[in-house]
Amino acid sequence: MSREHDQQGAGNDPMLLDHNYDGIQEFDNPTPGWWHVIFIGSVIFAILYVQVYMFGPGSSEQDKYNIEVAQHYERLFADVGDLEPNEETILRIMHEDDLQRFMPVAEAIFTSKCAACHGALGQGGTGPNMTDDAYLHVKNLEDIGTVILEGARAGAMPAWEKRLHPNQITLLAAYVAKLRGTNVPGKMKEGEVPAPWPEYEPAGN
Amino acid sequence: MTDSAASRADGLPLETFTYDDAIVRKFTLATFIWGFVAMLVGVYIAIELAYPKANLGLPWFSFGRLRPLHTNAAIFAFAGNAIFAAVYYSVQRLCKTRMYSDVLSNLHFWGWQLIIVSAALTLPFGFTQGKEYAELEWPIDLAIAVVWVGFFGTNLMLTLINRRERHLYVAIWFYIASVVTVAVLHVFNSLVMVAGPLKSYSWYAGVQDAFIQWWYGHNAVAFFLTTPFLGLMYYFLPKAAERPVFSYKLSIIHFWSLVFIYIWAGPHHLHYTALPSWASTLGMVFSVMLWMPSWGGMINGLLTLRGAWHKVAADPILKFFVVAVTFYGMSTFEGPLLSVKSVNSLSHYTDWTIGHVHAGTLGWNGFLAFGMIYWLLPRLYQTDLWSKKLCSAHFWIGTLGIFMYWLSMYAAGITQGLMWRAFDETGSLAYPEFIETVTRLIPMYWIRAAGGALFLLGVVLMGVNFFMTWKNRPKEYAKATHQAPPLAKKYKPEAAYSSDLENVVGMGKKLDEITSLSWHRRWEGRPVKFTLWVVVAVSIASLFEAIPTWLVESNRETIASVKPYTPLELVGRDIYISEGCYTCHSQMIRPMRHETERYGEYSKPGEFVYDHPFQWGSRRIGPDLHRVGGVRNHLWHWDHFNNPPDITPGSIMPPYPWLLVDDLDYDVIPSRVRAMTMIGVPYSKEDVTQGIEMAREQAALIAAEMEEQGGPAASETKDKKVIALIAYLQRLGTDLLNPVEEEEPADGAEGGE
Repeated sequence: MSREHDQQGAGNDPMLLDHNYDGIQEFDNPTPGWWHVIFIGSVIFAILYVQVYMFGPGSSEQDKYNIEVAQHYERLFADVGDLEPNEETILRIMHEDDLQRFMPVAEAIFTSKCAACHGALGQGGTGPNMTDDAYLHVKNLEDIGTVILEGARAGAMPAWEKRLHPNQITLLAAYVAKLRGTNVPGKMKEGEVPAPWPEYEPAGN
Repeated sequence: MTDSAASRADGLPLETFTYDDAIVRKFTLATFIWGFVAMLVGVYIAIELAYPKANLGLPWFSFGRLRPLHTNAAIFAFAGNAIFAAVYYSVQRLCKTRMYSDVLSNLHFWGWQLIIVSAALTLPFGFTQGKEYAELEWPIDLAIAVVWVGFFGTNLMLTLINRRERHLYVAIWFYIASVVTVAVLHVFNSLVMVAGPLKSYSWYAGVQDAFIQWWYGHNAVAFFLTTPFLGLMYYFLPKAAERPVFSYKLSIIHFWSLVFIYIWAGPHHLHYTALPSWASTLGMVFSVMLWMPSWGGMINGLLTLRGAWHKVAADPILKFFVVAVTFYGMSTFEGPLLSVKSVNSLSHYTDWTIGHVHAGTLGWNGFLAFGMIYWLLPRLYQTDLWSKKLCSAHFWIGTLGIFMYWLSMYAAGITQGLMWRAFDETGSLAYPEFIETVTRLIPMYWIRAAGGALFLLGVVLMGVNFFMTWKNRPKEYAKATHQAPPLAKKYKPEAAYSSDLENVVGMGKKLDEITSLSWHRRWEGRPVKFTLWVVVAVSIASLFEAIPTWLVESNRETIASVKPYTPLELVGRDIYISEGCYTCHSQMIRPMRHETERYGEYSKPGEFVYDHPFQWGSRRIGPDLHRVGGVRNHLWHWDHFNNPPDITPGSIMPPYPWLLVDDLDYDVIPSRVRAMTMIGVPYSKEDVTQGIEMAREQAALIAAEMEEQGGPAASETKDKKVIALIAYLQRLGTDLLNPVEEEEPADGAEGGE
């Protein structure tokens, strides 16, 4: 045993190894059992995980995503089918009681996509005020759908055709149409005032 | 019988030598100074997030430019100098020899400080490569390689070869692993095409660049912030506790498993991204397997204190070490947890990651370095530490600071992660406005800033203690001489353990001999061989992941409609990189419905093939930008850059008025486009020769459109920097949506996915 070490008890301990580095010594303790168990367990987990998720039959993250999206639209639109952004459909969504459940859906889209330019309440910002009764590119209800789909004024209003589900566009059109006349103080009127939206006549009446 | 006794028996004469403590004094002082600077910048940018006006409207103080300065200073300046102080102090003593060359030591010291200063003089001015923790531009990268390998690595290896202690102590194993691996990581992640004196583009693009960057980024944590600090711990903790290390066997097993497994873990930073999922799966399972190898270090640290806990109660230095090792244990449990894909889907892009990182850096690296400094001060300056009370105060204030930082970032991260993914009963986003998920965090940002400020205050107290201790130093330092015989020329390895198991077959005996680990003792006597094995360990893992990422063609499926950026968009992208936009904005939409509802179609690998470097980002302090192209008009961007809160009330994005008044430098375009061509971006000859005219034309068009949208006169705006940036933003993510014209119908369909 070296005389250089400065540690208490060294030399008396049977577990102490014959190592001495600048006075640092080392015990010959075994590695803890639980440490081995968890280490080996993590290796087994890794092997199984790789088997299942890399070579297994499961679907990819992208597949799972696609399924989730399909299920979401299925759940949301199963009973209404395709919603075309025409006058009749837009009116129906605006007025029919059992379709009002789509308004929060449209509102969420409006808030996440449109509010940045048109304001959270539609009061306008960079883009025009949606709550007065004047419009730049809209003469009738269908035009709202068209502007959302195709955009307007060389990109001043972006085109959303490739970025939203077709039904979402129609819902959005109905939501925007309903904002007319809510007159939230904001941006000044721009454009012309089209005729009031047509009255809704439920089919079969 | 000890080695020295053995050598004496060989009849070798004792040699007399001294240690170079002057170099340790230099590195220790540098650790304190840069630690203070790094943390000061950290607190400052933390305040900027809570109160953006704190940047005083100055470009050089904006978050995007200072955040890289904070991370680089904390890692390479503070932690780096702490590592060097530890290595230079301990290696000399562990090897019973002075450093091989005082000249190399000093070249290393001054070279490294020069690198740090040049970082501080380039990052705030927007000179950056745009890859996290690897932002420094190519001339500085070259200097790092020279100083690290040429001065530090060479000096260390030659010192090891000239040692007077036969076996390498575990601390030195960790130093060797750090030196070798950091060199490899740095070189391969920094391969660039030079495009100007302080401008370059990563050789790699998109998915490959992301892979290499996080192979580097994660292993910067592993081999810059973990292994050298484990080496530091293995020397200073038993010295301060005056106790033997708990288990030599554990040292061996956890060292090799750590070195081998760590290097695979990088891709866990890229879960659910365009990186192939097999790579991220490997990243995850290796991270999980890394848990116990990491804890091996914690166990060896904490159990070394067994029988010395009464000392911990009385000694603030040991308290620093105990908290540091405990934080190491917590972070290395949390790391594997965060690497599990389902957990990561919540935590990624949030402050949870920031909290995790700081538990490691403040707790483990910071406290270990502080403990070391307090232990070294009386020894380096050959006088008593000026105030043990102040040291104790530092410990408690620092600990409180870490907890405030850590817990507030947890709360912020989980809050934001849950808000992003929340749906209402219709399956619509519950928080459709991104800003809602930002303003909710502001109180947590204040607590974080306060926690950081406390941590900084602790460092100031250490500075006072440092200064006063230095003041009390003797007029002249006593130069202690030491004696030891040189190593015998021929290494006679100790007899290997021979199994005495009975009633087992040969293979059982062999297994018994291997698991006895006695062979490792012989490796410890051969530093060059030891180093080579470390190289083998880290290379195998790297190549296993890297080669398929390159070779498998399907990993970078091309999309016909994806085209290189126009010259104007390219320089606009350079502005995006230079302003550090990636420090707050991601460009990687994951295939999750809450992400695609918020940002648009998820990102595909083929969309990034011309992105040198990639800009996927790691944190969404602001929203993702990958599909921002075409969803806002030019004027919106102009107004938004001028003052974001005008457009988005509550926005914490700083204003960028200088982009609206500074003129774009068109003259750099040919060299930039040419550099891109050299790394395989298919620009035509005209793009190089006519690049300036093409860019001017596109800028004039954007300015005209913006005027039409109600913006300022096009003649006033068309040559401003912001127009190039807007051109880039309007292009982002749009190629996928625009089917190719005049191509086969089949190709066109591909673009319309």
